[in-house]
Amino acid sequence: MSHIHFPVVAVMSMFVGGFLIAIFGAKRRKLSQGIALVTMLFADVLVYSLFSPVILHGEVISYWMGGWKPVEGYAIGIGYEVDQLSLFFAMLICFVLTMSMIYSIRYLEKDSALDHYYTLNLMLGGALLGIVMTGDIFNMFIMIEIMTFTAAALTAFRNHKAISVEAGFKYLVLGSVGSGFILSGVAVLYGVAHTLNMAQLSTVLSQNYNPSTIFAFALMFSGYALKSFLMPFHTPVPDAYSAAPASIGMLHSGSLNKCGIYALIRLTYILFRVMGLPAVQTMMVLIGAVTMFVGVTMALAQHDFKRLLAFHSISQMGYVVTAIGLGTAIGLTGGLFHAINHSMFKGLLFLCAGAVYYAAGTTDLDRLGGLSRKMPWTTCCFIVGAFSISGIPPFNGFASKWMIYQATYQKAVTTGNIGYALVTVIAVVVSVMTLASFIKVTQAVFFGQERPQLSAVREVPALMRVPMVIMSLICVLFGTCYNLVNDFLLYPAVYATLNTHGYVDAMMGKNYAAASGMPFVKYEPVQFSFWNPVTWLVLFVIVLLAVFVVMMTGESDRGRVLANKGEEADGKFATFFSGEKSLPSHVGGSDLFWGFKKDFKKYFKVVQGIHSGIVNDYVLYAVCGLAFITVFMFVFVLGR
Amino acid sequence: MMLANYLTAIILIVLGLFCVITKKDLIKIVLGLGITDYGINLFIVSLGFNEGGTSPQFAMSEIMHGAYFVDPVPQALTLTSIVIGACVDAMALAFVVMLYRHYGTTDSTKIRRLHG
Amino acid sequence: MIQDTLMVLFHILVFPGLLFVCVCGLLLAGIDRKVLAHMQKRVGPPIVQPLYDFLKLMGKETIVPQAANRTVFLAAPVIGFAGLVVMMLFIPVFGYGTFNGSADLIVLLYLLTIPAVALIIGGSASGNPYAGIGISREMVTMMAYEFPLIMVFLAVARKVGSVGALSFSMLNIEKWQQVNGSLITHWAMIPAAIAMLLIIPAEVGTQPFDVAEAETEICEGPLVEYSGAPLAMFKLNTAVRMFIMTALFTMLFLGGITTGMVWLDAIILVAICALVTVCTMTLLHGICARLKIEHLFKFYWTVVAALSLLSLALVWCGL
Repeated sequence: MSHIHFPVVAVMSMFVGGFLIAIFGAKRRKLSQGIALVTMLFADVLVYSLFSPVILHGEVISYWMGGWKPVEGYAIGIGYEVDQLSLFFAMLICFVLTMSMIYSIRYLEKDSALDHYYTLNLMLGGALLGIVMTGDIFNMFIMIEIMTFTAAALTAFRNHKAISVEAGFKYLVLGSVGSGFILSGVAVLYGVAHTLNMAQLSTVLSQNYNPSTIFAFALMFSGYALKSFLMPFHTPVPDAYSAAPASIGMLHSGSLNKCGIYALIRLTYILFRVMGLPAVQTMMVLIGAVTMFVGVTMALAQHDFKRLLAFHSISQMGYVVTAIGLGTAIGLTGGLFHAINHSMFKGLLFLCAGAVYYAAGTTDLDRLGGLSRKMPWTTCCFIVGAFSISGIPPFNGFASKWMIYQATYQKAVTTGNIGYALVTVIAVVVSVMTLASFIKVTQAVFFGQERPQLSAVREVPALMRVPMVIMSLICVLFGTCYNLVNDFLLYPAVYATLNTHGYVDAMMGKNYAAASGMPFVKYEPVQFSFWNPVTWLVLFVIVLLAVFVVMMTGESDRGRVLANKGEEADGKFATFFSGEKSLPSHVGGSDLFWGFKKDFKKYFKVVQGIHSGIVNDYVLYAVCGLAFITVFMFVFVLGR
Repeated sequence: MMLANYLTAIILIVLGLFCVITKKDLIKIVLGLGITDYGINLFIVSLGFNEGGTSPQFAMSEIMHGAYFVDPVPQALTLTSIVIGACVDAMALAFVVMLYRHYGTTDSTKIRRLHG
Repeated sequence: MIQDTLMVLFHILVFPGLLFVCVCGLLLAGIDRKVLAHMQKRVGPPIVQPLYDFLKLMGKETIVPQAANRTVFLAAPVIGFAGLVVMMLFIPVFGYGTFNGSADLIVLLYLLTIPAVALIIGGSASGNPYAGIGISREMVTMMAYEFPLIMVFLAVARKVGSVGALSFSMLNIEKWQQVNGSLITHWAMIPAAIAMLLIIPAEVGTQPFDVAEAETEICEGPLVEYSGAPLAMFKLNTAVRMFIMTALFTMLFLGGITTGMVWLDAIILVAICALVTVCTMTLLHGICARLKIEHLFKFYWTVVAALSLLSLALVWCGL
């Protein structure tokens, strides 16, 4: 079977696996888990074996379902097209899905109805792969719908808890509204172009700015922005990510909003090709900047571990959209790199949150404390994740954020517009606030004093630690060897995005794009280097030696002086430690950053009031967002 | 003639969204979602209309060059969309039932344990 | 290859790396204490007192509290120190630059966070509630001064880069100042220079911005459980930060002087750094009381940010 069939077989096998579990898996946990893992590994093998032809040899796979090839230059069938950008996201999604599945084997051992979980999980995986690998816009809508309702069902998986069902309902309502927007946009597009194939649409719509196409663009942009959870469409995210089980939370933040980003890139760069317009760039950068800032300030005020991580997800998506919205090659590279890094470190952080929940039974920051002595692996992985997301060298967050700052500032200088320089400033300030937020979580959960209720906490099982350790290693690897990542993953993907002619020709036949008069955009590759590996190796060795020296200096006779542990073992210290019992006094959770919260009291009152928890308000914000985008597009694109 | 269809479709969509935004009862919110879906379906099906065209169903012997029929693709899209609408409504109503069991009310302003 | 590695080792260990920054940092710390003493009509300790303190602390016993996470507790000061040494490798000494990348200033901005984060993580790992309060204040201080600092850096980069191009590279900034005169002589950059002078005390942690390590309130905050060699490293970190921040200020705003001989340049650098230290840290230390954390945050996000934003706007308009 030639590799042309692999994309479709991968998607189909996920759905078949899901149905098999639904039929045979009732009350048989091991069988469900077995079928799920086997299907996932099968899809992994198929997707990763496409790496060689698509990325190394530059081939674009195009596959028409049922063999219905285009007739007289007109697409009549459903087409699957895998170019380097699609494969970039497909490989990421497969990896995140596999890690989630390995983690869920031990994490969900106390839950029932696991066959439902694995069915939904496989259907979600199939939908995600379908979104990134399809070349037909209605097919993409169908896959987005499947993604929405499996994700809503999985959010409400633990339906004995009221908050899970509440979060699932809000997610479903908002998701349907978003899908409604997308479907309306697709309908208007069909009315204009009478075709649903993305390659052919891109030839019809290029430079074709009339009210119908701009309205369709605004509708689809709002719909996809809702799927990526940008402001003001981000509202179901904090509820959904905090109520879902951690393996699903990791999928949510690691792949669902990446599919939204993928769809946005396809929409703006390939379908409508509007990224050259300053109006669209301004709009995307504005949305990205607001998302970044509001996301991180809300995160600083949270009491729940997973809700805090959810707000950080929103904020980091703001980074990605800002970088993509600049319209330059370096911006797109930085955005894509940050997207893949975000899946890695955010997935890692969600897995750590799940590990804390598994061990301690709560994710409330005000009730945790001092877990690092009992859970060393989790602490280490969490610190790697926290430093990655804050952008500390040498982890991966630093490399991608550095690219993004360069991209925004370069844009500021080339266009002479100080707004982009202010976006750089906002990005750096948000990065520092992200660091602050994770210092807060580290102090509140892992360091500090142990609370008496948590004395029975133990480290999580090995099968849960394996995905965490793998993802931490990848964080470090991507941070140090980012030139390799650039060569093999980012450069091909960016080239494929900017090279629309190649995309169209692969689907519709040679020279189709040129014949239809589409303008061609040149692309210069981007190179980075700021450090010399030998220097850093030497430095690392010196640091290790220094740590060893510091640990060994001083007196080595460590008398164990115990305070108030029943009878005093050593009489000579009794004067210091007898007397009042020392109470555990842990400074964490809401006790931290009160000076900052005091200064921003009015701001927090407004913004926390906006996140009211009522689903009507959330839909109102989504519709207002659509209205804003439509009006913006009509005024600035058509008004010229 | 299609203008009436399009106007109705737009009115249904706007009415559905208005219902979701202003009504406090969860079941009414789900109904609003449904109305929006029906409006979009009506819009899609009306797009394919060709004045004077026949129904797009032919046996292999009947089809010939120059046959003038209504566009079948939007009809296929609408069928798919109807099915999706049914699934979403079913799942949403299942959620409403479970929410009533947990919270004892279907008032959306009372179902807000996750906020802020 | 061997030559390269030896050169790298020399840069990291002797000049401008470990030995150079330690000696100059301790010297500046000593000068600061001496001048402060004279401002308060005392004689004060000798100028090499910080070195004596460091050596004394290295010989004391290291006590690790029971509630602490031992690995992180002991590794934190060394990680901070490593970050500082790397930072010095990025700051050129009047034309002698070790690294020449294209985006040095941004890397410096991020490396500046490493010593602060090391202090915070070290304090957090000690498990003491005073340390918890201290790290919260230290983090808020960091949030406060990063905002004006990035605007100062952007203003400098814009001024130095030609139209339509960027220049974040420190060596380029030096070369530009050698040709066009020091940045402080361009009057559009003066607000940025004042802003940077106000950021330096917060970055280093001296009064009036040392609320994170308030000795009288929270028993030295993050350092409360430290003793012996780790405490010596943290004190050394503070001294080295003094040197690095003043060296950065000198390179950014007072650069452009070069005598052609590296050792003479280094001595001039240390002299100017001492002058800058006295003008900012010692002066403010002597005359101001300690600010509370909410006042500190408000100060940086209003006054200092306004100064740096003014400079950025002026530079953007082409002045």
